[in-house]
Amino acid sequence: MEAFSIFQGMATVLSDPTTLFFVVFGVIAGVFVGALPGLTATTGCALLLPFTFGHEPLHGLLMLVGVFTGGIYGGSLSAILLRTPGTPAAAATMIDGFPMSEKGEAGRAIGLATVASFTGGTVGAIVMTLLAPRLAALGLAFGPPEFFALTLFGLAMIVAVSGDSLVRGVMAAAIGMWISTIGFDPIAGSSRYTLGVRELLGGIELIPILVGLFGVAQVLARAEKLLVFPKGPEKERYLPRLADLALTRWTAVKSALIGVFVGSVPGAGCDIAAFAAYSELKRSEGANSDLGKGNPKGIVAPEAANNAATTGALIPMLSLGVPGDAVTAVLLGALTIHGFEPGPVFFASNLDLIYALFAGVIFAQVALLIVGLGLTGIFARLIRIDQRIMIPAILFLCMIGSYSVRYSLFDMYVALIFGCIGFLFEKVRIPLSPMLLGVVLGTLSEQNLRRSLIMSHGELSIFVQRPVSLALTVGAILAIVFMVLRLRRSSTAA
Amino acid sequence: MVACKTLIAGLSLSLVAGVATAADYPAKDVTLVVPWSAGGGTDTIARSLVAEAKDCFGTNINVVNKTGAIGAVGMGATSAARSDGYTIGLITFNLSTYGPLGQADLSYRDFDLIQMINQSPGAITVAANSEWETLDDLMLYSKENPGVVTVGHAGTGGAWHLSAATLASEYGASFNYVPFDGSANVRTALLGNHIAVATTGIDEMKQLLEAGEVRVLAVNALERAEAFPDIPTVGEAGYGLEAPIYDWRGLAAPKGLKPEIKGEIIARLKTCYESGNFQDLARERGLPLVYKNPAEFEAFLADLETSLAATISELGIGE
Repeated sequence: MEAFSIFQGMATVLSDPTTLFFVVFGVIAGVFVGALPGLTATTGCALLLPFTFGHEPLHGLLMLVGVFTGGIYGGSLSAILLRTPGTPAAAATMIDGFPMSEKGEAGRAIGLATVASFTGGTVGAIVMTLLAPRLAALGLAFGPPEFFALTLFGLAMIVAVSGDSLVRGVMAAAIGMWISTIGFDPIAGSSRYTLGVRELLGGIELIPILVGLFGVAQVLARAEKLLVFPKGPEKERYLPRLADLALTRWTAVKSALIGVFVGSVPGAGCDIAAFAAYSELKRSEGANSDLGKGNPKGIVAPEAANNAATTGALIPMLSLGVPGDAVTAVLLGALTIHGFEPGPVFFASNLDLIYALFAGVIFAQVALLIVGLGLTGIFARLIRIDQRIMIPAILFLCMIGSYSVRYSLFDMYVALIFGCIGFLFEKVRIPLSPMLLGVVLGTLSEQNLRRSLIMSHGELSIFVQRPVSLALTVGAILAIVFMVLRLRRSSTAA
Repeated sequence: MVACKTLIAGLSLSLVAGVATAADYPAKDVTLVVPWSAGGGTDTIARSLVAEAKDCFGTNINVVNKTGAIGAVGMGATSAARSDGYTIGLITFNLSTYGPLGQADLSYRDFDLIQMINQSPGAITVAANSEWETLDDLMLYSKENPGVVTVGHAGTGGAWHLSAATLASEYGASFNYVPFDGSANVRTALLGNHIAVATTGIDEMKQLLEAGEVRVLAVNALERAEAFPDIPTVGEAGYGLEAPIYDWRGLAAPKGLKPEIKGEIIARLKTCYESGNFQDLARERGLPLVYKNPAEFEAFLADLETSLAATISELGIGE
């Protein structure tokens, strides 16, 4: 049934060249938007949203899906080349991507990221087509206690992205989680740490933090030592090598499955999916791997996962009317404006549109592969631009990106402040990735903990009385203990 | 330098003065500030209202989303914009609670009100497989078992929390309120049986109601909702309220519009509001449209502020 419908969907998409044009246009626009630090897939979709009103629903939607796909991929380009993730989802890609480009292998890294994104997105799209209604039902099993247990897994990720010092990593994550508490607290209905500043009432936006910690801090670091990149060989190969693909094939598939699952849980977006896949890679590779120093698998895992998560995030949106993340919230708006009301009824009564959409998602991955591989050479050449031009250019992009999230000068100051924090933290070797993870997970974790405790009248037993929550809690605790033990063993051995 | 700035300011003022007569208005595109994110409920309403502004208003109206601080950033931006008639903004329920909750120094008094757009009543909803068939069942159970029934809402101090809380405090029912981040999450939690009752806008339950997934026990309003004629009001279910709390949305401009320009804006936006497309969209979504002119709108907001302040201090929330 499902397999048959997807072929019908493909026929719908293929029979109309305009549809394909919109997909490809969306992907290209997305790649550029994503590659610019601070401009994310969310911004891209929001900017193009009004443009979709005058077009057929399918065209408009597929263009936005293209922007989503391209944007999440595009973020990895600046992460690899500039050590400035274009989107939060590319923060994990940076950990191995930038070291690889420092070695003069930027083209190889981008090629890997492109193929991994394609694989992730395609695996995700297939899973989505086959399992959408069932995964949506699984998503419903996630109440506040389950969400909190899921964020405990997030704490295990801190171990994976902390680099050589767990203590410093935990410290950075704690600071990040504290930052996430700033602003209006919807649970108590009161404001925290806002100092009476109206802009702080809604909390500090994630994008200026990201742009500051990585982009601006990077600008400062480069300006300090006019960091010179090793120039790659003039005739570097930009197409990924077969050996690399063979080496990373299982990592790609496993990470894609993690990605589509994490993405389908409402509230956990592409960024968490990427960190989760990286964390799982770190676990399976063992403590003595060269992850963090330019390991190809370290690029493939987060890239496959974050693009798979884009398809995962569509599942709750289409089947429940609940956005999986910020981008799908915009897509949901696009559907509503076209007169659809996503939800259980929508899914059952618009199967033609849904399967055409699914087919379009698969075409978007193909478009991504072609566009990505075609542009790799151009992007990789960026790295040879003189630092004296690059530094102000990156700073300029960082400021534009922070401003454009909500047209706010305040967010530009936030990016500058976090730039200084990032620069100083790097000096005292406090890793920045756990801090970002703390900001990303902080709200989700805190609110669901408190929500659960409200539900149980303060009894902690709520986390072990519910089967899904029990399994997740036990799994998370085991994962943390296991990783800490392993880390300790390897450090005593060394 | 100062002289130069003064000159520029003077020039631009005279330019503005040149165009800002009622006969010429609108001479250029108008910006509509939406304090919530693109694609959300408020944004959708705003965008469809001005989608055909060229016809109904005379120029394009461009939507700009200035989000953050539970709407205070965007509404603050509208109130602080130049009052030349080329910046207007969407204002929403939160404007009524910034003061009482001690969140921000911003209220309807900081604007020239244009009109109300909609006024949505709250709905008390349970899952289709719930043991409670009527509002009476639920209220009796919650009185016998204080604090046991979990009621999910979209945020503490928000319209739907206060809507249910007023009902509970009036009739001595005791609920365990579980705050979520937005009504979409409340719906998911209800479907997953993580909460027993949901309090949301009635229109937010339309899909699930049609799918047979939920049962709306009552609408927390004085009259039945037009789009949901079968659902009783709280009064008909035996638990009447004198002043139920409604969610609202409206349009406003920065304070100090010239009267003749204000008149133009009010009349032209009313045309957009009354256009068939906008009315159709609202009907499809089950959104109860209510028009109020500036004076009626102001009276409504003043009354609401008084009753909200009382409810909020009774609940002991906010700062």
